[in-house]
Amino acid sequence: MRQRGSSLVEAALFVPILAMLMFGTVELARLGWTYFTIEKMFNQIARDAGAQQAINLCDPADPQLLNIINNAATATEDGSGTPILPNLTATNIAVRVERLDPTTATLGECDCSITGCDISAGGRSPDFIVVYMPDGYTVSPRIPFMAAITPFVLRPHVRMPFGGT
Amino acid sequence: MDLVDNRNQNNRSPRRDPISLPDGRGSVSDCMHLAEPRPSGSDLERGAVSFQVLVLLVPVLLGFIGFAVDLGRLYLVRSELKIAANAMALSAAQLLIGTSAATANASSVSNLTVETGSGFGNKYDFGGLNINDSGGNFVSTIVDPTFYAAAADALGTSGSTADSTTAKYVKLQITGEAPVIFWSFLSLAQDRKVNVIAQAIAGISAPLCTACGIDPIAVAALSTDDTTDFGFAAGTRYTFGYMCNGNPIITGITGAAQVVPYLLLDRYNQSATLFPDEGSQLFRTGSQGLPPTNPYDSTLVNTAGLPLGCIQIGAGETVWASAAPQACNVTTPVSSAQSYVCGLAGRFDPTVPDACTTIAEVDSIASINPADTDLTDLDDYTAYVGNSRRIITVPIVDALSTGTMTVLGFRQFLIEPDPGAATITPNDRYSRFVVLYLGSLMPIKGSVPPRPDATLSCTITSGPGKVVLHQ
Repeated sequence: MRQRGSSLVEAALFVPILAMLMFGTVELARLGWTYFTIEKMFNQIARDAGAQQAINLCDPADPQLLNIINNAATATEDGSGTPILPNLTATNIAVRVERLDPTTATLGECDCSITGCDISAGGRSPDFIVVYMPDGYTVSPRIPFMAAITPFVLRPHVRMPFGGT
Repeated sequence: MDLVDNRNQNNRSPRRDPISLPDGRGSVSDCMHLAEPRPSGSDLERGAVSFQVLVLLVPVLLGFIGFAVDLGRLYLVRSELKIAANAMALSAAQLLIGTSAATANASSVSNLTVETGSGFGNKYDFGGLNINDSGGNFVSTIVDPTFYAAAADALGTSGSTADSTTAKYVKLQITGEAPVIFWSFLSLAQDRKVNVIAQAIAGISAPLCTACGIDPIAVAALSTDDTTDFGFAAGTRYTFGYMCNGNPIITGITGAAQVVPYLLLDRYNQSATLFPDEGSQLFRTGSQGLPPTNPYDSTLVNTAGLPLGCIQIGAGETVWASAAPQACNVTTPVSSAQSYVCGLAGRFDPTVPDACTTIAEVDSIASINPADTDLTDLDDYTAYVGNSRRIITVPIVDALSTGTMTVLGFRQFLIEPDPGAATITPNDRYSRFVVLYLGSLMPIKGSVPPRPDATLSCTITSGPGKVVLHQ
């Protein structure tokens, strides 16, 4: 009886550790997968938006831009499909427009004006675009006995040259 | 958990002693005790077999956890490095315009995609590690971009590299050290990092059939048999003069004896709400090329039904209605052509010339576009170090006429300042300016597949392309 009791105690000690390891593995891997998914989605948005003509990246409601973001996030241009990640909508995703300063050879944010990148006012297209999530994407890993773990805020971003007009 | 429990009981042996397990493995004699009556354990021995099992199990467990966590992370790192390499290669290839400074510019601009100042540069490992960072625990390097003249050279491993003036393709590699956690306990990655390599090749595409944002002035091919240069000679100066009828014939500007007449192709946007004035539109088109419009919007077309922002090979183009050619003996320029050349002059100097101040909204349009950074009068294009503002891409047509002109291809010219001046003369009687023929050197930014309803034939073998990824 003493031995059975000891093995029970051992099991009681061991099972939580093993469960934590297994669930932790799954949750950590899920974290990486989520980041990977967002990164790939941003890459698609950046490459797609970067090849458009007359896309107004200064306007988050630009129909071409919305179509591209919705297409990447939900596989439907109107955004009616299931998002590839929970709680992901086109409004979470933002595009930063950047202009190359030829004299200082630096990249800076392009203001949305006629002398900047607002093409609806006549401005020129940006040189680079960055797709990012201003608030990040929050993932809460569910690992046993680690309920107090802080949710991870993933902040992927993708910078691509703008190749449209 | 049954496994652990059973082993626990079976292996209770008085000889088992944790200290006697230096190699972490059980011995044959373990088995012999399986059938023996279970001896009573002692406190010393309790948990000894768990330890043994753990020794067996832990490497396996770490290996499998490593598959999920570490291998997943390595795939993520590779994907991030690949995206970063793509961005670098694409931005570099955009600047391969056939000048001596092209590859140096390309390298420095591609490095800007991974700059660390703004926080928006491409990074790797969950966006946590900088690319091209030689400090810290995890080093990443960019293998110097190499440049090639042909796609086969760039894709192969033994292709010869090209110099700056002939480079069309760029290949670069990013090597980044990625951290591993669980596999580092095994013999796989004991220094806790793994090198991940991503490579990208970008370069010019096949010749484009539809080009957007180019300059809608048509010149006739000097020779339609020459499908490469249409009879123009690279490095030769030509005087572009607005087509006129009768005598006297247009004379060339000093240094560019051969006169090539041109016509403005109709791109008047009659429904425009931004810059609705025709003169404003001409000025704007002159200063930056065709303004961007959605090429698939069937309302944004000219009177012939052609998209306003793009020009297609094979399309039947007509002259801009208000810019019809006049008699050559009229002493004032065609006013629409003058508005256009006013815009062209803005590529040299954004200050609006006196002859152009009557154009509506001219000051705000002139503020949009900067001047070229190199205004030198060049005979040798490879010495050009500007920002491409002076390079114009024009459609070559079969013959100039006031009827229908068929677009044969696109070719590029560098606008030269007038002799002894810093800019061109916007109020020239024949709207003349000097150009240097380049060929098809600069990648075109705006390109779309032809409209779905287009039934144009395009079988070109030569012409400017756009920048695409090749690998």
